[in-house]
Amino acid sequence: MESEAADSAPSCAIVNSIRERTIAENSMVVLLQGLQGEEVTVDLRNECTARGRVVNVDAFMNVRLEDVRYQDRRGQSTQLQDLFITGRNVRYVHIPDHVNIMKTIQNQLAKIHRVRNFASEGGSRKEFAKKMK
Amino acid sequence: MEERERKSVKPDSKQSALSEPEPIPEADKLNVCSEKFDPLLALYSPAAPPLPFPNIKCFNNVAEYESFLKGGRGRAKPENVEKRQRKAMKGVADPERIERLKKLMVNNPVSESEVGESSGAAARRSRRRQKPQKNVLTRMSLCKGSPLGELHRCVEERIRVRVHIRTFKGLRGVCSGFVVAFDKFWNMAMVDVDETYREPLLGEALYHEKALTISRLFEKLSLQESLGCSEPIKKQETREKSSEGQSANPKPAPMSCSAWPANTREDSRTAEPKLSKDAESKADKGNVSAKAQDPAARQKTYGKVHTRHINQLFIRGENVILVNPQPL
Repeated sequence: MESEAADSAPSCAIVNSIRERTIAENSMVVLLQGLQGEEVTVDLRNECTARGRVVNVDAFMNVRLEDVRYQDRRGQSTQLQDLFITGRNVRYVHIPDHVNIMKTIQNQLAKIHRVRNFASEGGSRKEFAKKMK
Repeated sequence: MEERERKSVKPDSKQSALSEPEPIPEADKLNVCSEKFDPLLALYSPAAPPLPFPNIKCFNNVAEYESFLKGGRGRAKPENVEKRQRKAMKGVADPERIERLKKLMVNNPVSESEVGESSGAAARRSRRRQKPQKNVLTRMSLCKGSPLGELHRCVEERIRVRVHIRTFKGLRGVCSGFVVAFDKFWNMAMVDVDETYREPLLGEALYHEKALTISRLFEKLSLQESLGCSEPIKKQETREKSSEGQSANPKPAPMSCSAWPANTREDSRTAEPKLSKDAESKADKGNVSAKAQDPAARQKTYGKVHTRHINQLFIRGENVILVNPQPL
């Protein structure tokens, strides 16, 4: 697996599975995937909130956060190092103000497009995942 | 026999053969270098015939010798070595190959590591253009004629919309903002959002409360605000009780729209504030005010309507009840 310039975010921007790539490409999950590395607040279905840095979002909107402040609906706060949220439990994701929504979506789609083209032409294998950020 | 002589002939052996003084006839017959060599005798003699020089290669038959001469399998001839090296380097990107591919590039996009795709992509892009690329952004405009198409119109024309958000049972609140992007699941990215919501009640109250509607939501909000403003609680109590008897309507927030049972998506447009008429709803408000008279702790945590402003918000479509474009 090749990786482009070293970056602080450890996770890969594009998933390996073609199924997940297609699901993500045709839905708004790409916006959330473009938020990897940003500090966001996720409002959950159970009226709790989790504020932390996005590590990874997959095609089913499952979110993994780091350095999280998890606040109960009663207002009780807990500090967590790592939090995994099931996609179905997400209600809102507060996007940081400095993020341009359209640009983020377009960048993510371009990355998927590149990976797909690379896989079909460059190598001899059909499924080739390129890790990049 | 001649081949053997040819093979084993080396300058040294020649010399040794010549320098040797008169050999014994028997030995002469066994000497492979001599003319009088008798192979049959060599085969049946008890001892092996003396070898002309030390590290001579022995073969079992002529065919073996022949294949040895040809180079045979595994023999490290220079061309074999090269072939093996090339095979080993197969996966690794050859800089020379990269250079060649770069020259083929029609457009000149990003970086060296994508050489594989860029050269091919340039050629194939013309072929691929027949099949348009479908992604979330292109799908937004594909929905013409359907309710999602109406939403797309709101995106294009930057119409402010109100999105009703659901709790596990019933209405949670309303988000008022501009939609930037959406998808088929009704996941929406919105900007400039004003959210008015009430957290769901817990326990017994959940069973006894009447279903929250938009009008009730804003009534509660205005009520809360009015409660917050005036100081003595008793005054409010009397005021509420007096209003209960009458059919006088309080002034709800001017923005309330269609009530909860409205099923039509996006077609409902309300111009005027919808006022609640039942006495029961007054009783509901009365309950709220009664709760307000309870100890301060409960008042803070219990069934209050909140408002907040969020600059950029992503809403998961699962939580959307309906979307209501606001008339300008």
